[in-house]
Amino acid sequence: MINPTYLAQKTRTSVNWADARRRVIKSYRDWLRAAPEIQQMYSLNMPVSAIRTKARQEFERHRYVAQLPTVDVLITKSNEEYQETINYWKQLTHVLKYFRAEDDPKARLPHNFVAGFLEGRN
Amino acid sequence: MPLLPRPATARLLAAAVRPASRRLGPASARTYADEGAHDRSVQPDPKSSTSDAPSAKPGDSAMIRQQGPAEGAPRHKPDYDVAVDYRTSKFSPIPMRVMDGSEPGEAVAAAVLSGAPTELQARTVRIYRPAKTATQSGTWHGHHWRMDWDVLEKGHRWENPLMGWQSSADFMQGTHLNLNTKQDAIDFANKQGYEYFVQEPNERRIVPKAYANNFLHSPKRLKHIRTK
Repeated sequence: MINPTYLAQKTRTSVNWADARRRVIKSYRDWLRAAPEIQQMYSLNMPVSAIRTKARQEFERHRYVAQLPTVDVLITKSNEEYQETINYWKQLTHVLKYFRAEDDPKARLPHNFVAGFLEGRN
Repeated sequence: MPLLPRPATARLLAAAVRPASRRLGPASARTYADEGAHDRSVQPDPKSSTSDAPSAKPGDSAMIRQQGPAEGAPRHKPDYDVAVDYRTSKFSPIPMRVMDGSEPGEAVAAAVLSGAPTELQARTVRIYRPAKTATQSGTWHGHHWRMDWDVLEKGHRWENPLMGWQSSADFMQGTHLNLNTKQDAIDFANKQGYEYFVQEPNERRIVPKAYANNFLHSPKRLKHIRTK
């Protein structure tokens, strides 16, 4: 008998939008529930609420996707990331990639043209 | 890092949450979704259910409102509120818009799924047919269409301080894609969310000539121009 790896999800397509919505919300709840474990596992110097905010931000980025197959692929990617994070296959750098904009001022876009000009983007 | 800097987080979350109607695609693809209608008096009463797509039919879903005339126009100014990804650097150009999957009519929103840096959607791409090498008569290389990336404003090249070699922060420098037809190239650019412009090729004009025309007599002005 072949045992799949812990947290492996079989890839499947969503039947309709209600199905996709359920899968997205389930995946989001998994991330929220796993936030304290992620903080403890990777020894992150940030509160659990920051990890949850980041999860929320990543999900909100794709809120207005209009095609069901795109949503399916995004759900699959979310499940992959979740498995890699919880199974400790990632390293600290891979997790901190998501928080680069908060840590590094050079990883952000400027507020307006003048701010960009003063920091040298011309 | 005990406390996150509040303005940065708020701006990042706001950037991701803001309605997609301000993120407008190129003229062939426009976003329709908008979560806050400013004047509900002219809109139908919003009703939605979980079985509706986010932008299924206007007037049916709560997330949709009819697009105003200015919102359908493509953006020509950089959009500073775009949500960044982890590859943004101080050399990244500011995009006009970033594809977020809500554009109608696209078969695949590859820009959303491919994991490519979002700054690629800020850079203009030139679609052209490479010219025939002037020193030879072969036209084989001039049949396909090529996609080339414009240089960055800063960071495309500097001199390495140690050896004087040319260093670059531009990962697309020296990259070109070869495609079979112009429409293939345009579809690819639309799918990946690139800003593009098409440069039509200069077609060679071959004039059929007859040597006997040099000796034709005409009583009035010569109708035959020998050099064209």
